[in-house]
Amino acid sequence: MGLDSKHINAAFDQDLDHLLTQLMAMGGLVENSIRESSRALLTLDGDLADQVINDDNRIDVLQDDIHKSAVNCIALRQPQASDLRMVIAAMGISNSLERAADHSKNTAKRISSLIQSPPLDSAKASLQRLTSSTQTIIKDSLDAFIQNNVELAAEVIIRDQDIDEMFASLFREYLTYMLEDPKIITPTMHLLFIAKNVERIGDHATSIAEQTIYLITGSFPEGERPKGDNSVYYSASD
Amino acid sequence: MDFKNSWVAHDMIHAVKISSRDVCVYYSDSQALFKVSLDIQDNMVTALIGPSGCGKSTYLRCLNRMNDTIENCRVEGQIELDGVDIHDRQVDPVQLRAKVGMVFQKPNPFPKSVYDNIAYGPRIHGLASTKDELNQIVESSLRKAALWNEVKDRLHASGTSLSGGQQQRLCIARAIATQPELLLMDEPCSALDPIATSQIEDLIGQLRESFSVVIVTHSMQQAARVSQKTAFFHLGTLVEVNDTESMFTNPKDERTESYITGRIG
Repeated sequence: MGLDSKHINAAFDQDLDHLLTQLMAMGGLVENSIRESSRALLTLDGDLADQVINDDNRIDVLQDDIHKSAVNCIALRQPQASDLRMVIAAMGISNSLERAADHSKNTAKRISSLIQSPPLDSAKASLQRLTSSTQTIIKDSLDAFIQNNVELAAEVIIRDQDIDEMFASLFREYLTYMLEDPKIITPTMHLLFIAKNVERIGDHATSIAEQTIYLITGSFPEGERPKGDNSVYYSASD
Repeated sequence: MDFKNSWVAHDMIHAVKISSRDVCVYYSDSQALFKVSLDIQDNMVTALIGPSGCGKSTYLRCLNRMNDTIENCRVEGQIELDGVDIHDRQVDPVQLRAKVGMVFQKPNPFPKSVYDNIAYGPRIHGLASTKDELNQIVESSLRKAALWNEVKDRLHASGTSLSGGQQQRLCIARAIATQPELLLMDEPCSALDPIATSQIEDLIGQLRESFSVVIVTHSMQQAARVSQKTAFFHLGTLVEVNDTESMFTNPKDERTESYITGRIG
């Protein structure tokens, strides 16, 4: 790709480098937010959860900065071809990252309620597998972007299906817990909402992977995204 | 001719106006163009882009045999306009240039009145038998070139007294007065300010409803704005031709990518 060599106009390279640096910084903060909210959930650490909530503001500010840099780049440099795709992908990826961080913040917000509830160790064990897989695919989606790795990006999209399936089975499992003991319905519902937030983070990893494929190949992956979550079809009789 | 057939199959609406095959151009012993094969489609704007000296203007001048006027210039290969070889002995270059009009980089109106600038071509080609008919051609050409309202009260003022942008539109009006089928434009906006440039670009968009336009431009934004097909030339070869949209978002050839992203000049 032409991106390997320098532009005749050095200021253009500086603008693109700056955009990439901002995006990397944002990616790092979002990975951290997801990791820390998972840790706060498993250890029921209220202070750590508060920190995740407060730190989300920095992510929002970075997203605004990335949008401003991208708009300036389009207005002043008129990027074309791979440069244009880079700017568009940077905007799209920053949106996905910001939304992923919001889900992480939403997870953190529910932790104070869980602290006051009876412990739900078995329910949390399944959730731990889900959060761990989600952290991995967010990291891999960002690695695919940085390394221009189309194979890794394609793999992320496939692996998100596993996360959807994990959520669907967790949904059934939580239903069973709630049927067995109605006293734990409130905290289990909190865990279910958290699980949904975590599953959505996986969807944003897929979106980052799709934009990486667009950046590298010039076209978005064709067809519908694979879906592993069939919990929307469950009815009371299931 | 498989290539031609597949091209037509992909784009049934736009018939091939000019078909060129293996066009080579030599200036004395030095070769400026290497086996260029390119189809220009009807009712479309085709932009030719590439760094200086890449052969895009040389190719453009082949299409109405303007290279015939350059001493020591030799053109090889086949160029067909509506299936007729333009180098055939029976083709009169003057008649060809009436069919294939040209607008140059710098506005070059004749040192005559606005009216006579337009009337000159139709007169020598016998396109009007009465004064009224000639008046009509002048008016409709100036209207098509979006200049009528600005000059209708001074048709007998000198063409050179107009502003740069008006002079360029006058040259376009002059080129379309002979009812060409194809209009060649060699950097038509490079001497104009942004407003005059926008007017010419808007005009190009309207002109393609009547005939095809081939434009050589150094401004990639201009190529992106006005054309439906873009061809990239480099070092005398045609590197890539594609829909303008694909060309500027996802070019196939690395040299095209490097050029349009500003990595090679």
